Amino acid sequence: MSGSVMLGESSSWSRALVNISPYTFSAIGIAVAIGVSVLGAAWGIYITGSSLIGAAIKAPRITSKNLISVIFCEAVAIYGVIVAIILQTKLESVPASQIYAPESLRAGYAIFASGIIVGFANLVCGLCVGIIGSSCALSDAQNSSLFVKILVIEIFGSALGLFGVIVGIIMSAQASWPAKPV
Amino acid sequence: MPSTFSGDETAPFFGFLGAAAALVFSCMGAAYGTAKSGVGVASMGVMRPELVMKSIVPVVMAGVLGIYGLIIAVIISTGINPKAKSYYLFDGYAHLSSGLACGLAGLSAGMAIGIVGDAGVRHHSFVFKIGMLGITSMETDLIALISCTQT
Repeated sequence: MSGSVMLGESSSWSRALVNISPYTFSAIGIAVAIGVSVLGAAWGIYITGSSLIGAAIKAPRITSKNLISVIFCEAVAIYGVIVAIILQTKLESVPASQIYAPESLRAGYAIFASGIIVGFANLVCGLCVGIIGSSCALSDAQNSSLFVKILVIEIFGSALGLFGVIVGIIMSAQASWPAKPV
Repeated sequence: MPSTFSGDETAPFFGFLGAAAALVFSCMGAAYGTAKSGVGVASMGVMRPELVMKSIVPVVMAGVLGIYGLIIAVIISTGINPKAKSYYLFDGYAHLSSGLACGLAGLSAGMAIGIVGDAGVRHHSFVFKIGMLGITSMETDLIALISCTQT
């Protein structure tokens, strides 16, 4: 090691992290925000859609009402798009001397964590809404008074995606890059 | 590469990951609980439609787990502010541990609520057991709050 002074203990993990550019972390965060959200939406739609189409063979009246379950799953993908767009507007270019400054490192980590939060919260929300939507379609086919009651459960499930979006946006406000020297 | 390296520049990584863990794992638990007990409610509702609205209790308790994760995640992420107060590795690790505590407890509570809610709803005997599960997750949430205010 060439003449660097270590204050206190610091592990090699810290050294490895400090050498990764914050733009790497930001880009991965933005990609995860949209990619994994869309994965969750697609997964939910295929779970709901296959049950809905199968149940509609014997009970065609359920098709138009139960499309609302598909719309709840789709909303999850829209949350991911919105947050990914917000996160990418938080990216700023800093001069090369400042890329590894503590403030830019922190901004990169904030965007990364924000993307992870939104992506994975939307993934589980899409799965949850898809599973409940499928049982909603099946029970609606049996007894049409059940549709609205199971829809209440689906609304609870779709709130999870909203939690992810709220925390993601609050955390992205922490992504402040160092000001350019005048 | 600074010549004096203290590791404190990487502390926000662990802090933000703690907030992420709090929310993501609690949402996983809430989603599992909601989905599993929701399927039980729908199945039971075909035979006994009048009991469906009473059986929403496990779903509500699972939803509350997501709110616990949201609160801890917001507290952690607004606590990472090196301009107001210097943010050492200690603070980063404290936030990581509090986020993991809240999140993993929420995940297990959510899975328990799902399994017990599903079985209980099919047997119409759910209320007190779900209440106990909700309380255990609230206790671990208090521990998470205490550890993230250690900084």
